[in-house]
Amino acid sequence: MKRMVALLVVMALCGCGRPGGELKRITIGVSLLNLSNEFIVMLHQAMETKAKELGVRLIVNDAQRSAERQVQQVENFIAQRVDAIILNPCEVEASSPAVDKALAAGIPIVNVNSETRSAPTAFVGSRDEESARIALEYIARRLHGQGNVVMMHGFLGQAAQIKRDRGAKEILAKYSGLKLIAEQSAEWDRAKAMSLMENWIQSLGPKIHAVFAQNDEMAMGALLALEQAKMKDKVVVAGVDAISDALQAVRDGRLDATVFQDARGQGSGAVEVAVKIVRKEPFQKELFIPFQLVTRENVARFTSASAP
Amino acid sequence: MNSVKSWLSRFGLLVALVVAGAALATVKPVFLTVPNLINVVRQISINGILAVGVTFVLLTGGVDLSLGSLVALTGVVAASFAHPGDFPVVVPVLLGVLAGAVCGGVNGWVVTQGRVAPFIATLGMMTVARGLALVISDGKPVSNLSREFTRLGGDCFGVPIPVVLLVVVTLCSALFLGNFRLGRYLYAVGGNEKAARASGINVDGVKWFAYTVCGALAGLAGVVLAARITTGQPNAGVGYELDAIAAVVIGGTSLSGGVGGVGGTILGALLMGVINNGLDLLNVSSYYQAIVKGIIIVGAVWLDRRKENP
Repeated sequence: MKRMVALLVVMALCGCGRPGGELKRITIGVSLLNLSNEFIVMLHQAMETKAKELGVRLIVNDAQRSAERQVQQVENFIAQRVDAIILNPCEVEASSPAVDKALAAGIPIVNVNSETRSAPTAFVGSRDEESARIALEYIARRLHGQGNVVMMHGFLGQAAQIKRDRGAKEILAKYSGLKLIAEQSAEWDRAKAMSLMENWIQSLGPKIHAVFAQNDEMAMGALLALEQAKMKDKVVVAGVDAISDALQAVRDGRLDATVFQDARGQGSGAVEVAVKIVRKEPFQKELFIPFQLVTRENVARFTSASAP
Repeated sequence: MNSVKSWLSRFGLLVALVVAGAALATVKPVFLTVPNLINVVRQISINGILAVGVTFVLLTGGVDLSLGSLVALTGVVAASFAHPGDFPVVVPVLLGVLAGAVCGGVNGWVVTQGRVAPFIATLGMMTVARGLALVISDGKPVSNLSREFTRLGGDCFGVPIPVVLLVVVTLCSALFLGNFRLGRYLYAVGGNEKAARASGINVDGVKWFAYTVCGALAGLAGVVLAARITTGQPNAGVGYELDAIAAVVIGGTSLSGGVGGVGGTILGALLMGVINNGLDLLNVSSYYQAIVKGIIIVGAVWLDRRKENP
C-alpha cells in the first residue's frame, strides 16, 4: 500500500515535470557507508569518474557506519531537492527509513552495494552469497572435496556477514567431505583475525586444511599468523573483496585466492542508473555486477581493474 | 599499611589469573603449552603498552579516550615512512612515537591550560586523530612496508619483539613511578589535587607529563600494531582505549586517581588476554564471548573492591 502511494507520488511528480529541468545540471546526493573503508573509497572514486563523464554533480556524504546519520543525510538531500539519491546502506533495517522518505518525497533512490528492507527505485550491486560460494568452491577444488575448514565471520548481524555465511554453508553442505571445524567472528579486522588464527593454530593446529575469511582484511590476518607459525604451505586461505593488499599477496603467491567485487562496476553503474531514471530513460531495476575468482593464474588482469 | 593492602589486591588478581588458567588447562590442555602462552603474551602486548600508558593518566585522576585513534594515526604515520628503501627503521618508529607524544601533549595542554574536562578534551582528540589518520592515508591502508619494520611485530629467537617492548615499558614505568620524585607526584596529584598544589607541586606540569607519556606509548603501540599486521590502517584501534582502561581498572588502579600501579595493570591485561585466548580455544560462539567478557571484567573489579573495603 505504502509503496503504491509512493509510486503514485513519483508518477504525479514526473507528470508535472520540472520546467527547465533539461537545462539544469542533474544533482545526485550520495550517502556512503564509510569513507574509511578501502572498498567504499574505490566505489566513491568510480562514482566521481562516471559523474564527470556524464556531466552530473554529486553531493557526497559519509555516514561513518551510522544508519541514523545516513537517514539525516537523506533528509538533507530531500530538503535540497536533489534530482536523485544514491544510497550505500549502512544497515538492512535501520537505513530503510532513508529509502521510504526519499520515495515519499518523490525523489528516485538507487541502492548500491548492499540492500535495505524497503525496496528502492533501483538496486546496483552484487549478490554477496555468490562471493562466498565462489571462494568455497575454490577451497573444495583445492582440497579435492575432503578436509577441514575454519571460517572467519564479519560483524555478526550485518547483511554481508549473513549472506556470505549463507553462501559458504550452501557449498559446505554440498560437499560431504568438507567439515567446518570452527567458526568465529573477527569483526572484519586484520589484527583481530591474526589473534583468532593464532588461537586456532594452538587449539586445532594441523587439523586445519583451509581458511575462509569473509573479507580480505581477515584473510590477510589469518595469512600472517599462518606464516609466522610456518604452516602456510599446508593451509589454503581464501578471502573476499580483492583489496590491493590481497591482490599483492596473491601475486606474491602468499594468499591462495580472493574474490573480486567490482567496486568500479558498482559505483559507475549506480550513477548511470540514477541518471537514466532522472532522464526518464529505461533502466534495469536490479543490476547485478558479477563476482570473479582471483588466483595467481589470473591476478594480472585485476591489478589495473581495482587500482584506484 | 597501604602498600600491604595494594599488594593484597594484586595477589587477589594473581589468584584469579591462576584459577582461570588452571580451569582452562584442565578443559583444554593445549592452553598450558609454551607456544600458546607465548601466544597469549603476544596478543596482550598492544593492549598492555596502551594500558601502562593510560595508567599514568588515570593515576592523576584523568582519563584518555583518544588511545584507539592515536594507535591508528601513529600506525599510519610510521607506515608512511616505512616503505622498503625509504629510511632506516628507527625513523618510522621514532616518528610514530613522536606523533603520539605530540597528540598526548596537546591533550595535556587542553586539560591544564584550557581547563577542559579530560573526558571532553580526549574525546575531541579521539575524533581529530581519527580524521588525521584518514587524511594522511587518503582513507586507504598504507601497505608495502619494509621487512626491517615488520620484523618489529615478529619474533626474535622465539621471543616476540612486542612482548620484549611491553616488558621494557612496564619495568621502566614501574621503576619510574616507584622511585622518581615526578612519579610520586603523579600519585599526589591524583590523590588530592589541592593538597598537592598547596605543597608546591606543579600540578599542571605533572598532568601534562602524564598525558604526553600516555600519548607516546600509544604511539609505540601504533607502531607495533602496524608492524604486526604489516600495514598502517586508518580504521585500526577502534575501542582499544576501553580495553586499556578496563585492564588498568581490573589491575586495581582507581578511576578517581591516586591509587594503583603498572604491576596490577599488567595482571589486568593478562587476565583479559587469557579470557580471550581461552574462549577462542574452547570455540565459544562470538555471541557468548561478548557476554562472558563483560561479566568477567565487572566481576573481577567487584571481587577486588570487596576485598579492599570489607
